[in-house]
Amino acid sequence: MSGLIKVSPTGLLIENTLFILACLIYLLATIGYVINLFGKKEWGSFASSVLRVAFIVHTGFIAARTINVMRVPFVGHFEFGNLFIWATVLVYIWTEWRLKDKYYAVGAFLTPVVVLYIAYLTVIPKIFTRIAVSSAHNPLPPVLQSFWLKIHVSSSVMGYAGFSLAFAAAVMWLLKNGMEEKGLSKNASFSKTLAQALPQLKILEEYMYRASAFGFLFQTVMIITGAVWADYAWSRYWGWDPKEMWSLITWFVFAVYLHARFTRGWTGKRTVVLVMVGWVAMMFTWLGVAWLLSGIHSFG
Amino acid sequence: MTNDTPGLPEQAPVQESPVRQILKFLSSMQLGIILLLLLAVISIYAATWKEHQVAISSVYSSWWFIGIMVFTALNLLLCTVERIRPTWRQAFNPRRVMKAEAIKRMPVNRSIKVKQAGTQPLERLEQVFRANRLKSSVSDSPDGQVLFGESGRYGYFGSVVTHLSLLLILLAAMFGGMTGFETRDGGYAGTIFNVPQGNFQAVINNVTLQYLPEGPQVRPRAISDVTVSRNGNVIKQGKISINEPLRFGGIALYHTTFLWVSEVTVSDPDSGTVLEQFKLYERDRYYMHEMGFYIDSLAFFPDFSMTGMGQPITRSYATTRPVLAYQVGYPNGKTEQWALLDLNEPQLVETENGPIVLTLNGFENAAVFNIIKNLGRPYLFAGSLLMVIGLYMSFFLFPRRFWAVFDSKSSSFLVGGRSRNKLGLESVFDRIEEEISKREEE
Repeated sequence: MSGLIKVSPTGLLIENTLFILACLIYLLATIGYVINLFGKKEWGSFASSVLRVAFIVHTGFIAARTINVMRVPFVGHFEFGNLFIWATVLVYIWTEWRLKDKYYAVGAFLTPVVVLYIAYLTVIPKIFTRIAVSSAHNPLPPVLQSFWLKIHVSSSVMGYAGFSLAFAAAVMWLLKNGMEEKGLSKNASFSKTLAQALPQLKILEEYMYRASAFGFLFQTVMIITGAVWADYAWSRYWGWDPKEMWSLITWFVFAVYLHARFTRGWTGKRTVVLVMVGWVAMMFTWLGVAWLLSGIHSFG
Repeated sequence: MTNDTPGLPEQAPVQESPVRQILKFLSSMQLGIILLLLLAVISIYAATWKEHQVAISSVYSSWWFIGIMVFTALNLLLCTVERIRPTWRQAFNPRRVMKAEAIKRMPVNRSIKVKQAGTQPLERLEQVFRANRLKSSVSDSPDGQVLFGESGRYGYFGSVVTHLSLLLILLAAMFGGMTGFETRDGGYAGTIFNVPQGNFQAVINNVTLQYLPEGPQVRPRAISDVTVSRNGNVIKQGKISINEPLRFGGIALYHTTFLWVSEVTVSDPDSGTVLEQFKLYERDRYYMHEMGFYIDSLAFFPDFSMTGMGQPITRSYATTRPVLAYQVGYPNGKTEQWALLDLNEPQLVETENGPIVLTLNGFENAAVFNIIKNLGRPYLFAGSLLMVIGLYMSFFLFPRRFWAVFDSKSSSFLVGGRSRNKLGLESVFDRIEEEISKREEE
């Protein structure tokens, strides 16, 4: 990690160590959640504790990075990705606590998504050299030196976190529903254990809805604060930039889902598909726009 | 609708007027969902497969895209108007009495057994409801007493508030667009420019670059000091930089970018007489009409260097070695080879019309401003704030309603509840049950 900001070797060592440690502990928590899913109930609380430790270490990494770069670490693919992972885990831990640790199975689907995000920031750029995720310590350009950066990015990662959680619940719903449809949940086998560990379809739908609503609120705040900031920085609220448009597309998809569920009482596969499409749109906003399209959001 | 009561004649279905049918369609949720999906699909197409400027001109500004937006706004408006009264009734006139059978059919219901019923069991349960922040009352009905409790009734208005906020945002944007203007101007220190649309004049007092602590390699912040006057009276003075516009009376001056301005002298090589002295912006052109050529400023390098391939570059934004890259051209389209001009180092240039000496005497910075009047701005912000409040009310202020009756035979309460948040409703039930047993133990 090099850049225009000079970082002390000790600072760099602390930052690197905490990051690697957090990644490894996240991986361990994922393994724990998956084992819990296959009938080893005692692994649920273990995985949950490990995840909390990973989260604390990750928070330490973000704090170390903040000290090293002497600003909020909210800029660029690496920093944004980190914050996004951190927010996703935070929201999940909060739901675990709120629901009194009833649904560890969700962890078995969310933590792999988190590991996937980590892989994108760490391993994938090493395999596919065209994907350059820089973790260099660079200062903020003047346009990003604004109070709005903190609110805009914070709301963005919280929105993405909510959508990631909804996506995990959607995958669970599809799996559970598929098993029920094929009658696999009744067989005295591995599938039966798995089906029993997954929450009821109704609960998964509720979970998906709550997570989407949470994400939607923050996605709205993100779009609004982005517009207000753009008004200050670029003298216009809306520039039809690809990043802006894809954020709006994600918003549209989740708006359709929430409307359909909220007022029309839509449930089942069609809502699950909408949530998955929304997540794909969110991922495209984050990754697709950065690598395939050009625009004014090239800093993040 | 058919009448299935025996003995009564069959009634003809009620025909709605065409106007009513159209209004019903325009205010329908189905149309809303279709329009949102349509906007999403078009946006995906335009944002992904079209060049940015082409997308703006051929899609986002097209009559049909604006038409879809207008339809969406109309759908929102009608849907909101239609829902205000029922929402009001739903929030403020709840059904307080419910039969035991109806409670049993509720999505979340529980039978809670009590050890000691006492004389007034529902009054005791009412205290538990109140302890759980439920607004409660006991009503008499032919089937006995019913306890009703509720919380978060304003949550019913969430969607109405959200829809109204969207309308406010759309109206504010339209109002701002219709009553405002947008123009671009700027310059270096001493430049005076008039903005007739806004009936004001601005003087740029100075433009300075503020280097960041990380050094001159990072793009610095340009700060312009500007005085705005109207009819000879100063109405505003202040600094403009990125993220910090200068605002007055619904008008704002935004910093867009900064440029380098070169001070160039053209002189006669034999006599040394100064033929022309001018300031040349980056990527600008200066015509020497009498001499029959022009000078293009190709680039300005404040900290000039060359790459191994012979490409001129600037190492930083520090003015360590200022160099102007320029090119001489003629009205017939012919151009000379581009050249580099160092600060205070006169250069002999052979033109088609004779030799001249060019000197870069100095340089300074200029700022470019976007000047915008937008009277819709405060309403836009109000709409945005209202939208966040509306969404919070919709998704986080859950209206919860509970009904309870006491069954003296089984000595148990039958409690049923309704809420959009069923997971949350379960936890309220857990708390109620815990509270009852805790009170019994006391």
